[in-house]
Amino acid sequence: MTRSRLVLPVLALVALGVGFAAAVGAPREATQGEFARIMFVHVPSAWLAFLAFGVTLLGGVMWLIRKNMLWDRIAASSAEVGVFFTGLALITGMIWGYPVWGTFWDWGDARMMSTAVMFFVYTGYLALRRSVPDPETRARRSAVLGIIAFVQVPLVYFSVTIVRTLHQGLTFTGPDSSIDEGFVGPLLINLAAFTLVYVAFTTYRTRLLKIEDDLEAEEAIADLELAGLGITEPRLGGAAVDG
Amino acid sequence: MPHKSFLIPTIGLVILALGYIVFGGLNDNLVYYLTPAEAVERRVDYADGDRFRLGGFVEVGSVTETTNGVVFTVVDEGVSVDVEHTGSPPQLFRDNIGVVVEGAWAGDVFETDTLIIKHDEEYRSTDGEEPYVPPAESEG
Repeated sequence: MTRSRLVLPVLALVALGVGFAAAVGAPREATQGEFARIMFVHVPSAWLAFLAFGVTLLGGVMWLIRKNMLWDRIAASSAEVGVFFTGLALITGMIWGYPVWGTFWDWGDARMMSTAVMFFVYTGYLALRRSVPDPETRARRSAVLGIIAFVQVPLVYFSVTIVRTLHQGLTFTGPDSSIDEGFVGPLLINLAAFTLVYVAFTTYRTRLLKIEDDLEAEEAIADLELAGLGITEPRLGGAAVDG
Repeated sequence: MPHKSFLIPTIGLVILALGYIVFGGLNDNLVYYLTPAEAVERRVDYADGDRFRLGGFVEVGSVTETTNGVVFTVVDEGVSVDVEHTGSPPQLFRDNIGVVVEGAWAGDVFETDTLIIKHDEEYRSTDGEEPYVPPAESEG
C-alpha cells in the first residue's frame, strides 16, 4: 500500500477525533440533558445514508450511459456503506428514543418505518448483486434497482413533514425549528468528519471490488489454460449453442 | 436497452404511489395522532373503548400523580382534553412537553396506558439556565 492511500483514512480518523471532542464539548441540552449528544452520531449517519444512496443512483445512471464497470463498483460500494449507516441511524435513534420518548420503536411513525423499509430495500440491492454472476447483467439490474430505490430518500427525509410523526421535524430547515448556536458547530464538524469516513470507506471498497473482479477474471483464464482450452465452464441459464 | 419497456411503467407507478402518499395519503390510517381539537370534534366517531392516539402538550400545572399513574390535561390549539394515564410516565414527562398518549375515551376523560414523549425540533443549550437533572442521577 502506497503512502498516498493512507492520507484519506488518517484524515478521516483525525476528523472523527475532533468531532468526538466537539460532541463532548457541546452544551448540555435543556430538556434532554446528555441524551441530546447522540445527535452528533445520529444526524451524520442519516445524512451519509442519503449521500451514499445518491451516489449509488449516480453510479447506476453513469453505468447505463457509459457502460464503464468503475461506475458499477462505485454504486455497489456506496450502497454497502449506505446500508451500514442506515443501520447506525436506526440503532442510535432507538438508543435515544428509549430514554427520551419512552419507547425504542413506534410502528405508527412514518420516519421510523420509511427508514426501516429503506434499510431492507438496499439490503435487497446487495442481495441482488450477489445473486447475478454475470458482471454485465449484474451491473444493469443493480443500476435499475439503484435508480428506482432512490425514490425512498426524499420520502424518508420529508416523512416528518408529509404526515404527523413521533419523530421531530426538520431541525435545520423546518419552519418551527430552532437550534442553539452551541450545537450547530459540533454538528457541522461531525457531518464533515462522517463524510470523510464515507469517502474513505467507499474508495477502499471500490478498489477492493476492482481487485476481486481482476482476480476472478485471472482465475477464469487460468482454468481455461489448465484444461488446454478444450472445455468451457458450465454456463448458468441454459446451455450455449456453439454452431 | 431491453429494459426500457419495463423501466418506464415502473417509474410511472412509483411516481403515482409517491403522489398518493403526498397528496391523497392524509387519511385516517396515516394520521399518527389526533390533536385535542380533532379528538373532541370527532368524539362521535370514537365510542368509549375505541383506541386511538392523542397528541398535544401537557398543560402547565395540570399534572397530578395518582396511586397508579398520572392525571393531566393535553392541550393544543386552545382545546384541551383531560387524560388519565395508568403506569409511570417517561423521565422527561413534565409541564409543557409534547406527548402522544394511546387509549380511548371514557366519558369526558381520555384513558390511556401508553404515554410517550414527542420531543420537538428545538435544541436549547443550558447556558444561563438551571440544568435539568434526570431523577436517576439526582439520587447519587
